[in-house]
Amino acid sequence: MEHIYKHKKKLIYLGILPAFLLYLGFVIVPIFISARYSLVEWNGFSPPAFVGLENYAEMFGNNVFWRSLKNNMVVVLASVLGQVPIGFLLALLVNQKIKGRHFFRTIIFMPVVISAVIISLVWSMVYNYNFGLLNNILNFVGLESWVQNWLSNPDIAMFSVAAVIIWQFVGLYFIIFLAALQTVPDEILEAAKIDGAQGWKRTLYITIPLVKDSILASIVLCISGSLKTFALIYVMTNGGPSHATEVMAIHMYDNTFNGMKFGYGSAVSIFIVVFGIVLVTIVRNLFARFEN
Amino acid sequence: MKNQVKKIDKLKKIATYSILIFFALINIYPIFWMVMNSFKTENQIAINSFSLPESLNLSNYISAWNAVSLGRSFMNSFIVAGISVIITVSVGSLAAYFISRFEFPGKKLIYSFFIFGLLVPIHGTLVPIFILMRNIGLVNTRISLILPYVAFNLPLTIFILSSFMKSLPKAVEEAAIVDGAGYLRIFWSIILPMTRPALATVGILNFVYNWNEFSFALVLINDSKLMTLPLSLSLFSGQFSTDYGMQMAGLSMALVPIIAIYLLMEDQLVKGMSAGAVKG
Repeated sequence: MEHIYKHKKKLIYLGILPAFLLYLGFVIVPIFISARYSLVEWNGFSPPAFVGLENYAEMFGNNVFWRSLKNNMVVVLASVLGQVPIGFLLALLVNQKIKGRHFFRTIIFMPVVISAVIISLVWSMVYNYNFGLLNNILNFVGLESWVQNWLSNPDIAMFSVAAVIIWQFVGLYFIIFLAALQTVPDEILEAAKIDGAQGWKRTLYITIPLVKDSILASIVLCISGSLKTFALIYVMTNGGPSHATEVMAIHMYDNTFNGMKFGYGSAVSIFIVVFGIVLVTIVRNLFARFEN
Repeated sequence: MKNQVKKIDKLKKIATYSILIFFALINIYPIFWMVMNSFKTENQIAINSFSLPESLNLSNYISAWNAVSLGRSFMNSFIVAGISVIITVSVGSLAAYFISRFEFPGKKLIYSFFIFGLLVPIHGTLVPIFILMRNIGLVNTRISLILPYVAFNLPLTIFILSSFMKSLPKAVEEAAIVDGAGYLRIFWSIILPMTRPALATVGILNFVYNWNEFSFALVLINDSKLMTLPLSLSLFSGQFSTDYGMQMAGLSMALVPIIAIYLLMEDQLVKGMSAGAVKG
């Protein structure tokens, strides 16, 4: 084999080259160009002017940016505290020997494959003040005092939006946990049952430690997923009312393509990339320390 | 004692089903509610949005179809997503073949380099890609979407395909080498056919991601003749935001293909999405 492949080394690299070039050109190189743009002041047309770190200074001095960072953290927390436990609970339930397992799996995962644009438009109508499903239900069950302008009240709009994000992605975490639970051997749980361990104790002390890698993967996913949040909020509220639901990706888009501040927008996008990597690293280290 | 255990088991079962049915309703009912109201007039929706429609009134469907040119948007999405998938799977499977079946210097590095792409948020690349496309005159062309779609789909494609190809036994191509077949020949007539299940997974997965993609389309396309489905639908939140019956009809139609794909290819989609999610 050895001598054959040496002749073919060129062929190997040539075979990888098309994928490599496309990936390099449209995923990797643009990040470095973004980094360079973040150091200039530029409206996209006239020649860019080098300003050093001024865009970053402007960003850190901008209240709207901090608001958008805070909103991103609301999404992260909603995902970690909402999607992960609900997904885990549903996976535990579906992982039993019950009728209709497949049906429940299909229904629970379904929102994950639907486009964020469709979901945000459907939920905008569910939240509609006059005829929306949510206010209708509240009226119906006699909770008239809870009836709200769900998306235009700045105090609660971010939570209304976060609820839709949870709704769309619970299914993804559910599937990750379901796959992990199916690798937990029945014998271990049976043995614990015979030893007299109660249902929830079995879950807490046996099942959860066995699927902790999936829990770590889910939390990492909550972070990276929440930093990608864009279309859902762009369509539902466009960051409003008065920046109440603005996340960093919206802040970046708005400043770049509406404000024509390409340098500033690039600084925000570099921050999104770096912030994601830092958060993920912190979580991984915390988990590693927790294990020791 | 035995009776008590039975009772507890029964209670558990009831609790399980109640919770599952509750969450199933939360997932299904908003969509059902929308489809139901899509057959009503504005007035009927305002009076009672819970009731079943009195008749299958299709006027909302006709006006929605025309208002955002749904037929054309379906076609645009199909063309862009389809061509992107073909290119991604072609160049991705070739790369995965060499990465998984051969030893060569830099192999590990190249593989990790591709996998790193799973972590890159597209918003880190949006501005430079827009500037690049503008400078070479590709804004408002299908190719401006196809290129980034292919590039961003490659990491997951190579990850799934190369782990599948790695699991094929080495003996497979050894016999072919004895017969004097070249490496590309082995790829085409032996490895590729054996990889069919994984090809189906990445094919459908990439198609759905591209079909749903919004950010690149928003930045790179503003010619209504080229708008993909999510972009056309987003017009509902702007210019047609008050005609709810029509909006519901448009969204109901937009849901049909994706739900059909999901029900037909559920296993591939579920497997592929969770594999990518865990790796990222």
